[in-house]
This record gives sequence, structure tokens and C-alpha cells, in this order.
Amino acid sequence: MNEFDAVLRVRGLRKEHGQGQGRVRAVDEVHLDVPAGQTLAVTGPSGCGKSTLLHLMGGLERPTRGEVWLAGQRIDGLSERALARLRRRSVGFVFQSFHLVEELSAAENVELPALLAGRSPRAARRRAADLLARVGLAARARHLPWQLSGGQRQRVAIARALANEPLVLLADEPTGNLDTAATRDVLRLFVGLRAAGQTVVIVTHDERVAATADRLVSMRDGMFVDDTRLAGRGTGRLDGQIELEG
Amino acid sequence: MGRILLVFRLVLADVRRHPGQAAMLLFAITAATAALSLGASLGGATDALYRQTRAATAGPDVVAFSPGADRNMITVLESLEHAPEVVAHSGPHRQYYTKLTAHGSTGAAVVQAAGTAPGPVDRPLVTSGTWVRAGGAVVERGFATALDVRVGDRVTVAGRSLPVVGIAVTAARSVYPWSLGIGPGGGPSDGGGLVWLAEQDTRALASSNTPVTSFINLRLRDPDAARELTQHGPAMAPAFTDARVSFRTWQEIAEQDSRMLKGSQPILVIGSWLLGFLAIGGVATLAAGRAAKQTRRVGLLKAVGATPGLIATVLFAEYLTLALLADALGLVAARLIEPSVVNPSAGLLTAATGPTGNTIALTTIVALAVAGLTTLGPTLRAVRTETVTALADSAYRPQHRAHLTRLSALLPTPLLLGLRLIARRPGRAVLHACTTATTLTMVTGLMVIYAQPAKGYPGSPMANDLRVAQEHHVILAVTAVLIALAAVNTITLTWTTAQEARPTMAIARTLGATPGQITAGLSTAQLLPTLPGALAGIPLGLLLCLPFSGANTTWPPLWTLLTAALAALPATAALTAVPARLAARHSVARTLTTEAK
Repeated sequence: MNEFDAVLRVRGLRKEHGQGQGRVRAVDEVHLDVPAGQTLAVTGPSGCGKSTLLHLMGGLERPTRGEVWLAGQRIDGLSERALARLRRRSVGFVFQSFHLVEELSAAENVELPALLAGRSPRAARRRAADLLARVGLAARARHLPWQLSGGQRQRVAIARALANEPLVLLADEPTGNLDTAATRDVLRLFVGLRAAGQTVVIVTHDERVAATADRLVSMRDGMFVDDTRLAGRGTGRLDGQIELEG
Repeated sequence: MGRILLVFRLVLADVRRHPGQAAMLLFAITAATAALSLGASLGGATDALYRQTRAATAGPDVVAFSPGADRNMITVLESLEHAPEVVAHSGPHRQYYTKLTAHGSTGAAVVQAAGTAPGPVDRPLVTSGTWVRAGGAVVERGFATALDVRVGDRVTVAGRSLPVVGIAVTAARSVYPWSLGIGPGGGPSDGGGLVWLAEQDTRALASSNTPVTSFINLRLRDPDAARELTQHGPAMAPAFTDARVSFRTWQEIAEQDSRMLKGSQPILVIGSWLLGFLAIGGVATLAAGRAAKQTRRVGLLKAVGATPGLIATVLFAEYLTLALLADALGLVAARLIEPSVVNPSAGLLTAATGPTGNTIALTTIVALAVAGLTTLGPTLRAVRTETVTALADSAYRPQHRAHLTRLSALLPTPLLLGLRLIARRPGRAVLHACTTATTLTMVTGLMVIYAQPAKGYPGSPMANDLRVAQEHHVILAVTAVLIALAAVNTITLTWTTAQEARPTMAIARTLGATPGQITAGLSTAQLLPTLPGALAGIPLGLLLCLPFSGANTTWPPLWTLLTAALAALPATAALTAVPARLAARHSVARTLTTEAK
């Protein structure tokens, strides 16, 4: 694979927090290529730097050193404004705590990225309706986040992340706050996304989530310690595992 | 004791953690209590100063004037010395109506012939320099202040240049510019100041046909009966019946002096109401903004065994202590400002009496009410919250406002974000609109007062109407404090909104909103309510001026009022820019991580 095949490319990435004696290296000399259409799972214990890596790849944090490339464009040196615009059209985020806007309904939450991207209210509304239907929440479009279950909230968050058809979807512990049934619903969505060719990076320490990926990277103390390609992509094996656990 | 110490330590720790908020609370309540104290103490302040001056200068109970200086008139005045009610006198003296020139300006002056040793009644108190001597003039302090004349300067009186040897105050005349007493023909005359010259220095005036009035200062057995005596003289004392004699009682002089503050008192009283309102608005915003953090703090205190009573004491103690401190600061500020407000002409002794017990009680009640009422809700909510919920910090859940959300979808991103921020806390937008309306109400009042044509005194161009000048100073000062408080409120509102909306704005950033759009959105949330507030302030201000207006009142042109109202927009934009920018620069990742915990 050459560098132009990778939607997301990371070279020598380092992120340090704190100063002096209290300095901590959250991400340490990480190299990574994520080709288009791949679902990559990053696993590791709490505090190993998974979420920081995700934030760096999505331009939410700036690296101390190293390079981040998205769709052939180096983004680690971009201004905040340019990064925001990049996120608007190229990156979708899914968080463990959902981070839905509490005072907006499910549909209004999903419309928001499209409105920020300058789409007309009608187009944003139509897109939101499509996406909510895709995640099985068409009937809950007018519900406020607190009126939804955890799994439903996460599905709304996934729909919102897909609103502008991003190049890459970055998910930070998407099932971390969910029960088994809700986890199963969310995993189905990720399986569907993988099948649709969506590039996804999932940070998780849930093995069931990791098992939906094409590739598994393990992190420890800010470094990659293992990089495994999972067999059986598209075979339905993972779907089977979900069914079994459910 | 240990409990009190604990409360003190917790309060101190919180103040140290939030010094800016404590300073804002202090400023808001200090401004309100200072204005309230000044307004409340103006009522009898001039009267008190006059009484002090009267006591210090052996002021007369009655001054009897008669036009001219011929022997007959002198005899009439001398006959008053023997009236049964009169126990002491000084005079008869003469006073000449002439011109005085100082530092290039000329104005009306009344020159009194004075002996080197004043008589038993009316002994002017020399506050600077010495009493009159041949070849030297003593200028009444109010007049000297208006002319900016000091001891050693030269003044020209009736064409003769003389050095100023002293500055003095007297209770025998009203304060400058009403010092002339009775005019040359026995009628009223305003717009001049008082000068004392030695007897021999006034001889030239006597021989030059300068208008002259004779007068005698009288002390009565019962000073309080002075007015009755002069009004009902025929029945009580035949000596007070001569139609050629005019009388001026000490009560009339005191009343004339208090006219100086006639316009200033309502300005200060109304100003203190408006300042009080802004203080309530500011403190309420502050308290609401801190509610979430307070809830977490309450959770921590409960978790380590603090009772609801102790927690309520801690939460209340901080605001109430700051309110009491602010009250004390306000009273001290009022005490320091009072002399210049109550004695603008400097014609009275300025031994300020300080606030009365009633004033102290009033300002203390207001300060405690502002702090107590605005913190009561958040405190009760925090205390009633279950420990686990409080520790989890169950955030305020804004209401869903579908119409506003739908409307905002049609707008550009900054307006979209701004309108949605308003939709989160519409009450806060209303509060901001009210703050702006309050400020513009006062600004409109200021413009109305400044629109009135300047009044001077014919023949005495330098004798500005001090009463009007005093009103200008007072309303300018109150408006300046009001604008400063409104500015602090606006910054507090923006910062509080930004802090509360931080998670939402961080989400918007992850979805592609730029820092500039977030900054503009936060500013827009303050700007949108500014416009209706500013426009509402104009009619409110005019309405407030209506009871004090008359047929001759000049109203400022509408365009100037609209310009002032519209100026509130860039002012608000400038005030919100910095806190909004700072909030927009906060790390998105850190915000989201913190919120997730």
C-alpha cells in the first residue's frame, strides 16, 4: 500500500501532557496508515493513549511532534479554523458519552452538522430523516436525548456523525456506556458501516467491538504493541458472534 | 467555635478560588448602596450643613434690608434693635451692588462694608487667609470657588484692584449664586457673590452712586419664631411693620440653599433604584452561573458528613459577608462623596455628618436582600439535591424550543448558534435586555437634562447656574457608574453563558463550527437582546423625565436618542468579544473529556 491509498496517515506522532517532572507521554512515536474502507480497532487498557490518538487524528488536539495526514492533506499544522472546516466535511465523531445537544431533538441533533456545513434547512432535515431511518430511530426523531435510552442516544450520535458523509468516522468507546442489548444494536450499525465501505477508527476495550474490525491495533503506554489483521471480513462471522452473545 | 471556623475557611477558600466573581459582587452592591446612601442622605443634608455653618458663624435669625442708605432708613433699621424679641444685633451696615473682575471675567458682586472686628451677630468664618483689612478683600468661599480665586490673587472691585486677603463663609446670606440678598430696589436679585471690604475701602463706592442697600443682622429670643415674627409682625411686634423693610429669616436662607440640591436628589434616588436593579441582575446571573459548581461542592460536603444546615450556612455566608462588606464600602464611598454633592457651591462648612442610622439600616437591608434573594434559589436547590446526584452534577437541562430552533436553522452559523444559546436560557436574554433598557433609561435622562438650555444670570456671565451644573455632575456620575455596572453585567452574562454552553459549543466545534463562529455566536447571544432593550430604554427614560418636565422643557431630538440606543450594539459587541473569544479557545478535547467524567 502506498501513502496515497491511506485515508488517514500518522507518522512519528507524539503527544505530551504536563511539564517538567509531571510530563506524561500520552502518545509516543506512533505510525499508522488507515486505508479507505477499513475498520480499525484500537484497543488497550485505560490511560494508554487511545482517546488522545483519536483526538489527534480528528484535529481536536495538536500533537507535540509528528504528522497527521487526512486524505492526502497534512492537518497537524492547520489553523483551528481550517481544522474545523476539515472536520465539517471529512470527519465524524462518536463519543462514549454521546455528547448530544441536550436541548435539541434527535432529528435536530442530526441536522446540526449539515447546517454548519451550509446546507439548506430542508436538505439537512431530509438527510437527518434518512439517517435516523437507517439507524432505526425514525419514530424517535422528535424525542429529546433524555427521552431516549443509552443505545438510542448512541445511534443518534452515529447518525449525526454520518450527516456530512465523512471520509472517516472516529468512534471513542462507542459502547462504553451501554448495556448488552444496546451494544448489540450499535455493533450492528458498525458492521453495516464496514459493509458499506465507510472508513472507521474505533477506540475500544470491548472485545466484541474490536471483533467487528478489519484490523486490530493494541496500545500500551502510548505506543502500538501489536497490529493484527482480522480474518473473515464480510463472512458474517462477527455478526454471528453478536447474535450468540445477544 | 470549630463550626464557625470551618464555615469561615470554606468561604475564604471559595472567594480565593473565584476572586473575579467576588469583586463583581462587591462592585455591584457597593455602587447601589453608595447611590442609595447618597440619595437618602441628601434630604436634610444641606439643612444640617447650614445649621452647622450658622452655629459656627453666629448667623443671624433675621436680616432686615431697606433700600438706600439715607438717615431715615437707617433709623428705621435701628429701631429694630430695640424690638422686644431682639436680643442682639450687628449693623446697620451697607452693601453695594457692583461688579467684580477676576482672572479676566466680570460678574455681579455685592460688597459689604465690614469692620475689622465683626459684631456679635454674623461673624463670618475665615477658612483661608485673614479677615478684612484696609486695602484687602475677603471673598465668600462659594464665590471664590466659582471664580477660582485664592488668597493672594487680585480682584478688581468697582474698578479698583485689590488683593484677596481671605476666604470666608457666612450664614447670613444664601450660598453663591444667591448671595446678593435683597436687590438694590428692595427686590430679589440673584447671580452674584459676596465680598467684604474694610469700611474705608467702600467710601469710594458710597460717593459714586453705586446702588446700595442697608441691612441689620438680628438675633431673636426665639430663633424658631423668626418666620412667624416677620410674617405676622403687626400683631407680635410693631417694629416689624414698616413696609420699607424686607426681612430674610434664617429658615428662608436655609430653604434657598437646599434648592441647590432640588434636582440632584431625585436623580440620585432614581439612580440608586436603577443601580439596585442592575446589581440584582448581575448577582443573580453570577449565582445562577455558579449553581452547577455549587451543586458539586454541596455533594462533596454532604459526602463527608456536612448537614444541610451547615451547607446552607456556608453558601449563604459567602454572599452575605460580601454583601455586608460591599454595604460598608458603599457607605464609606457615600460619606467621602457627600461633601461635594451636598455642598457644591462650597458656601457652607463641609463637615459632613455621615449617613444616619436609618440610611445605614436601609442600605444594609437592600444589600442583604440583593445577596440573599438571588442566592436563595440556587442554595435551596443545591441543598435539596441528593448527594449522589450532586456529585454526578446533574446539569441544568435546558428546555426544547422547537420554534426558535427551526427559525435558527434558516440563519447563518453565528446567528444560528446565538439564537440557540438564547433558546437555552431565554430568561437570561430577558435579563440582558432589561439591563440594557435600564442603562438606556438613564442615558436618555442624561440627554434630556443636557438638552436644557444653559441658564445664566444677566450681567454676570461667570455665574453659571450651579444648581443645573450640580444636576449635570450628579446624573453624569450616576450614569457612568450605571454604564460600568451594565458593562460588568454584560461580561458576566457572556462568561456565564459561555461556561454553561461550553459542552454544547465543544460539540459544535467537533461538528465543524470554527472558533470564530463560536465567538460570534456567543456575542450574538448578547447582541440580540441588546437591541430591543436599548430601544425600550428611550421611552422609559422619557417617561421617567415626564414628572420633572414642564412646558419649557426642551426634549432632545429623536435621532440623538436613537444614536445612543444603537451605540449600545457596538459597545456590547466589544464587551462580549474578549470573554467569548477566550471561551471559544478552550480545548475541545479537554471539555469533552471533562464532561464525559
